[in-house]
Amino acid sequence: MSRLNVILVIMVIIGAVVISSFGATAMQRLQAGFLSVISPFLKTGSAVQRQIGAMGEGLQTLDQLERENEELKAENKELRASNQIYRDLEAENSKLRSALEYRKRSIFKLLPARIISRDASAWWSTVRINRGFEDGVESDQPVLTDMGLVGKTTTVAKNESIVLLISDESCKVASKVEGSNERGILSGRRIGEGEVPTEMQLNFLSKKANLQPGQKVYTEGVAKGTSTGVFPSGIFLGTVKSFQARPLDGQAIVEPAVDLSTVEDVFVVVGAK
Amino acid sequence: MRLAIGWFSLAVAIFLTIVIQEFIPPLRFLHGARVFLVPMLFCYGALSMPFWAMLLMAIYTGLLTDLAHLNVVNGHVEIALGWSIVVFVFFGLFAHGLQPAFVRGRWWVHVPLSLVCTCVFLALQFVMISFRRQGIFFNETVAWRILAPGVIAAGFAPLVHLAVLKIAPYVHGPTRLRPFRRIRQ
Repeated sequence: MSRLNVILVIMVIIGAVVISSFGATAMQRLQAGFLSVISPFLKTGSAVQRQIGAMGEGLQTLDQLERENEELKAENKELRASNQIYRDLEAENSKLRSALEYRKRSIFKLLPARIISRDASAWWSTVRINRGFEDGVESDQPVLTDMGLVGKTTTVAKNESIVLLISDESCKVASKVEGSNERGILSGRRIGEGEVPTEMQLNFLSKKANLQPGQKVYTEGVAKGTSTGVFPSGIFLGTVKSFQARPLDGQAIVEPAVDLSTVEDVFVVVGAK
Repeated sequence: MRLAIGWFSLAVAIFLTIVIQEFIPPLRFLHGARVFLVPMLFCYGALSMPFWAMLLMAIYTGLLTDLAHLNVVNGHVEIALGWSIVVFVFFGLFAHGLQPAFVRGRWWVHVPLSLVCTCVFLALQFVMISFRRQGIFFNETVAWRILAPGVIAAGFAPLVHLAVLKIAPYVHGPTRLRPFRRIRQ
């Protein structure tokens, strides 16, 4: 290799090291720009994929009826998701009516979004949705469906956002178990652990918790500003599949409420109404 | 001019591959392994391009790959932007060492090279996120997710070569087409 080539290689490596020293915000900004560039391709691809899927299902109805049906379905899902939050908030409000900050708790504004693609990487569980900062989306906002929690936004571009799914090992959610005083941290399982890839683990429970299969797990809703304070209280996460006592704590395996591998329509909690 | 056409054709192919990969679901029968063809395409360019063009391609491919996979959780980046550039530069150096054989008509060197580079890239990614999380571990699923994309990429490698053979008469790209001419004879 000639001396010039060696110098070129060293320069490229130094350049890469400089780029890697950028802060997380700068990197997210670059990624947002990249997302905006690939967005038309992703949206086109998503539309084609949907059309192929619809053809595969053999659904052939009149365009108008189909459109109306889609709208009603979306509206129904939105109402069901709203209802869930209303119900949870109502229950919580009745308990905390006298609390000083109860005024701050209000109904959330849901922004309907569609998953346009899924991360092609082998190690992360993320999806991309067709809503960005132009629609009012910010990073670290909860994403859910009428069935339960899906994840939270991370990088937000103009018209797209990346959503980190709750089945990812790095997504941690403060959780509580229905019918008990047990609280823990829910996260995705390590790659290859468990029978189903989307199964989650609920850690830091008490050893004597003795949770039963079928018990429901909800978000705990820790104060904003902490690492686990992204999610409002009372969002359904999943059901306990099994429980085991470990030397220091108890661990439950939780089946997610939402089928994260097939979900297509979601809602972003963009704020209070 | 020919080199420029070849370089940009490959750059477009890599970009489109990154987009298309987003729509290919995980392969359940291979323990959730994904199709990952970017290192294979890069290796093809590295085998056929001059050194400086290979370096430019490494910067481009590395940056695009990192931007596509950047994962920021609670303000922390799991794998920093730019690390793939370094990895692709090393792949490129290795591929460049094999270039004389490739130019002499041994196009098949691209097949094992694609397998090795894809697997090494995924293994490095896995090691980095493992250290970031709860420490390194290894199981059957991890092995499948590293090896299967490599095998798939190796399977696609001859198709890329065939595609270039078909396109070569029109654009004479990516660059040194002597191996292809020999094969055609």
